[in-house]
Amino acid sequence: MNWPNLKYIFPSRRRAEEREMLEELEALAAMAEPGELGNLTLAAENARQTWHFTTFDGTFADLRYALRTLRRQPGFVAVAVISLALGIGANSAIFSFADALLFRPLPIAHPGEVLNVSNSTPENASEGLSYPDYRDLRASNHSFEGLVAYRAPQMGVSLSSSAPPQMRMTMMVSDNFFNVLGITPALGRAFLDEEGKIPGRDPIAILGYDFWSTQCGADPSVVGRTLRLNGVDFQIVGVAPESFTGMEQLFRPALFVPLSMWGRLSPGSENPVEDRARHDLAVKGRLATGASLQSAQAEFDALGRNLERSWPRTNLNRRVAVRTEIKARIQQTPFRLIVVTMLMVLVGLVLIIACANVASLLLARARARGREVAIRLSIGAGRLRLVRQFMIESLVVALLAGVAALGVASAAMRFLSTLQVPNDIPIVLGLALDSRLLTFNLCAALVSCVLFGLAPALQSSRTELVPALKSGGLSGGARSRVIGRNILVVGQIALAMVLLIVSAMYVDGLRWIIGSNPGFRTDHLISMGLDPGARRYTPAQAHDFYRDLSARIHALPGVRSVALAEALPYSYAQTSVAVLPEGFQFPKGQTKATVMGGAIDENYLPALRIELLRGRPFGPADRAASPRVAIVNEEFAKVYWPNQNALGKHIRLNSPDGPPVEVVGIAKTCRYLFPSEAPRPYVYLPYEQNQRSRMALIAETFGDPTALAAPLREAVHAADPDVPVFDLMPVATYETRVISNWRVFLQMVTAVGMLGLILAMVGLYGLISYSVSRRTQEIGLRMAVGASREDVLRLVLRQGLILAFTGIAIGSALAALLAPVLTSGSIGQGTRYVATFAVPLALLAVSLAACYLPARRAARLDPIRALRHE
Amino acid sequence: MDLLQGTLDMLVLRTLLFGPLHGYGIAKAIRSTSNEALDIEFGSLYPALKRLEMKGLIESNWEKSELNRRARYYRLTQSGREQLHAEHSKWAEFVNAIGLVMGKDPGKAEG
Repeated sequence: MNWPNLKYIFPSRRRAEEREMLEELEALAAMAEPGELGNLTLAAENARQTWHFTTFDGTFADLRYALRTLRRQPGFVAVAVISLALGIGANSAIFSFADALLFRPLPIAHPGEVLNVSNSTPENASEGLSYPDYRDLRASNHSFEGLVAYRAPQMGVSLSSSAPPQMRMTMMVSDNFFNVLGITPALGRAFLDEEGKIPGRDPIAILGYDFWSTQCGADPSVVGRTLRLNGVDFQIVGVAPESFTGMEQLFRPALFVPLSMWGRLSPGSENPVEDRARHDLAVKGRLATGASLQSAQAEFDALGRNLERSWPRTNLNRRVAVRTEIKARIQQTPFRLIVVTMLMVLVGLVLIIACANVASLLLARARARGREVAIRLSIGAGRLRLVRQFMIESLVVALLAGVAALGVASAAMRFLSTLQVPNDIPIVLGLALDSRLLTFNLCAALVSCVLFGLAPALQSSRTELVPALKSGGLSGGARSRVIGRNILVVGQIALAMVLLIVSAMYVDGLRWIIGSNPGFRTDHLISMGLDPGARRYTPAQAHDFYRDLSARIHALPGVRSVALAEALPYSYAQTSVAVLPEGFQFPKGQTKATVMGGAIDENYLPALRIELLRGRPFGPADRAASPRVAIVNEEFAKVYWPNQNALGKHIRLNSPDGPPVEVVGIAKTCRYLFPSEAPRPYVYLPYEQNQRSRMALIAETFGDPTALAAPLREAVHAADPDVPVFDLMPVATYETRVISNWRVFLQMVTAVGMLGLILAMVGLYGLISYSVSRRTQEIGLRMAVGASREDVLRLVLRQGLILAFTGIAIGSALAALLAPVLTSGSIGQGTRYVATFAVPLALLAVSLAACYLPARRAARLDPIRALRHE
Repeated sequence: MDLLQGTLDMLVLRTLLFGPLHGYGIAKAIRSTSNEALDIEFGSLYPALKRLEMKGLIESNWEKSELNRRARYYRLTQSGREQLHAEHSKWAEFVNAIGLVMGKDPGKAEG
């Protein structure tokens, strides 16, 4: 085929050519004998074909015609656009949420070239790298143009030496971080290559853009000033660009410092950049030209084996895995994928229901347009041309709906943005009408255009000429259209049924969660996070600080007791412990398990009323020098020592030659992270034997715990004004914040369910109304020969209820297949009762109402007028 | 007489080799050079002219005709000449090949 000449795309060009052609043909006709040249019109028409693009003329005409037709039917357009806008808008909002949680590429230059590098061990498929491993890999690999490392700790930041420090999310990054990722600072400079070589030499920082604009008033003169970070003065050398929001999806770092400063920022630990056993660096690499994921993985397999040979103590069974960014994210947060998939499936169903509505309306319109179609066919329009005409009308409707959907989406996104974690550090979803969302929205509109428009368009173009021209009556085609609409309505009801069952199961699950006991008390407790490490206290100094502070707070009026814990239940900052329980046979290759756990003092379990089932609590006798002990929860005992007495058993911590600790007590299993989680093993270790710098201090109060917020802060200030206080709030707030997130999620699922129900009911109502109006004459005839109003009411209701019953039956079958998948994971634990009785009955009742209105209209018909009706 | 697909283009190019002609002139020229055997439908010829012009094998100008009327004259371009050359040798091969297959008229040999 030869390519069309592009200049003919312009109608003006084609018009000029047309004039010349007519002139030429006229001239030739004058020269030839009359009739010698044959049919000149046909010759000209064939010649026009060579220009291509003539189809556009038709398309513009179709578009004009479509707009004219649609303007005459504002009711149809309104119902179709609103239905679709709700469906598309819900999809766009969920897409934007999914994008924020999982899919949005890293905010760096050419993110597609950047791969994730992590350790993979038999226990954990995705673990951080140690700094020495990173250094070796960076020096010896050829797959990556550059390999960067970072970690994202929280640190105490104060903008001046007098201001109290605030806990902020920060990033320690390798010297090449900004250059390799292609991040150009908005102000100042990036880190230089040599700033990262010598541990502790370069106290310099680059501010995050958000932090700079909210905390420094976007003042450009901050470059060159100092700020204090965990008690160390750092000089500000730059400000990151606005586009770079960090490497995590939800948290925005306040500032960036060189990784070489790690040791000085976390005193007490031995030089962390030389510690090959400390696996907590995230590593990313930008692929070199010619390298691929496969070649990089092959190289890193070999390099990983070299490391394993050279350092068997720290690197045994430790592979180096290279993954794409999206795969790494799914590996690290599989829960997000579950949530995202589930929501996308639900809103996808809503969009299908909405499309079914519009398709049903189009089928109804097709009947009314039967005569128009027949006339156009009879004067020579091709079926393809008619299909194109109908598709253009659908496209106009879909695009209008796409625009309206942006309004729906932004409202839904405002609602989703209220999601928060129960800690001081805010999460930023960053939902916005960005280009990715607009693209998705447009695609959703186009897909729905095909979904709802194509079948009706094909069917309309198949109108049978003669009967359609003779009358507007019910021809064979029209009857199959009614059947088509019946199928659509049954499908809508079935899908609405699935949506409602799923959302009802979640709502029921939430009620169960709120109603049931989390296993610990939340009233009369207030807690705060403290990190004396931010003041460069060693763990021993921190221990003295906590002892002193506890005494001060205990002396405050209204305080019943004071407890310490490394992690509070429902707090975002959970900690874990690697354990090797005595006598437990791990699967092959695995040597230990990582379970949740943390250090607590002897007052913690009583203060939170966590019940000790057997054994003894921690006491003053458990000192640093005494034999090491632990308390495990019931679930731990059940998993690792089934049918045995866990008391007196030993657990080794961290490694086979780690310290053995004796289980002295078994506590009741409570909830730790989510309200709806499955029971999980937990280990409590005595604080005296496991000193930590960062702890939560909990005060049990006689009265209202919020009254103690100010006195607690003052007590810390009196003990040391430079220790940052964070997450100061009643323990009940953790619970309400966690539950409120679930509530946002559930309201969302419920809203989606209701949306599906409303759209399906609009479809049912529309169909029954339509069928009543079609059968006006028949109903009049029935009444004339003696049918009562009740008979008519029954007649119409029966038609609707048959559809509703069929839909509900199919929906039940679908739900039985889908609901277990959709409610799997740890989301919601609904009961069967709701799904089997409440939802179908409710749906039946609503269907009855939707049919009743048109049925009543039919029953009130005046038989005389109905008979005359046409 | 029906023409093989693509042969018409070749005939047009060949006719224009003698010099520029208008559309009617081309039709007449083909008819007379083929001893009236090839009577090209103008309805097929005209779109072929437009097609060749679009491909850049011929070009056209408005000129005065022999009867002093304005008419559009088509002439071969350089690439048209090359195309004609290529088609010509392909045609010769084709005729040769058909001749080899057909051989002498078998009906005559028997009779």
